[in-house]
Amino acid sequence: MNCRECKEHLFEYLDRELTPQIETEIRRHLVECPPCGEEFDFDKLFLQFLQARCRAQGAPLELKRRILNELFDE
Amino acid sequence: MTPPTPPIPPAPPASAPGGQAADAEKRASFEREALVHLDSLYRVALRLTGNAAEADDLVQETMLKAYRAWHQFERGTNAKGWLLTILRHAFINEYRRRTRHPETVDIDAIEPFSVFQEVQDDDPQGTFFDRIVDDEVLRAIDTLPEQFRETVVLSDVEGMSYEEIARVLEVPVGTVKSRLFRARRMLQQKLYDYAVGMGYIKGTSK
Repeated sequence: MNCRECKEHLFEYLDRELTPQIETEIRRHLVECPPCGEEFDFDKLFLQFLQARCRAQGAPLELKRRILNELFDE
Repeated sequence: MTPPTPPIPPAPPASAPGGQAADAEKRASFEREALVHLDSLYRVALRLTGNAAEADDLVQETMLKAYRAWHQFERGTNAKGWLLTILRHAFINEYRRRTRHPETVDIDAIEPFSVFQEVQDDDPQGTFFDRIVDDEVLRAIDTLPEQFRETVVLSDVEGMSYEEIARVLEVPVGTVKSRLFRARRMLQQKLYDYAVGMGYIKGTSK
């Protein structure tokens, strides 16, 4: 696998959306090619940062209460 | 204050065999399989509508519709995806018209920008991102074109697979991939520009 093919699969790789075979080929390329390895690490860390910043928020308690009332007439 | 009550289909007569037991079972299964996704629905609704009051209404309406249609939900399949599909349809039909205008985006016209190329010498791990707070990240997501915003929310906020996202958005998996790629690149660029503006990282002359 060359650099271009590898980068085409970047997010699919990080999202674990590839077949085990392609995943293995990419992993091998990343070990052999430090520039690609660095770029994948950068995006991996970016996704971790993004996901950590976005997943904290939940529905307000008042909304939960409103919905339970509405559904079950409590 | 009581919220307005939409019409509710007539309840089965109390004398119907298993009527009350069936109601209790419906409620229990709905609580177990649907209500547990309330936080997810709220997060998605907030990003779609862009404001808390409308997100509240959209989620409430979604839960009501879902409860009425609960017999149609195929047990054991993905309830979160099913609920998000209902939410998205309600948003498109009733809210989007009032709030935001749907933009059509020429995906190919957006040239992905590589932040990595900019920072690989100074900060190849992108540690400057860590200084950006939650609200700023959410604000950046809110400025994405709608097609990109909903894709990135389902993926990065809700952690859904490409296949699940494709089903909710009713587009091919390939479309999910290309939107996600461009959405994340745009987001990276916005957050990088913000970090440069805040002095978290030295900008290069572009």
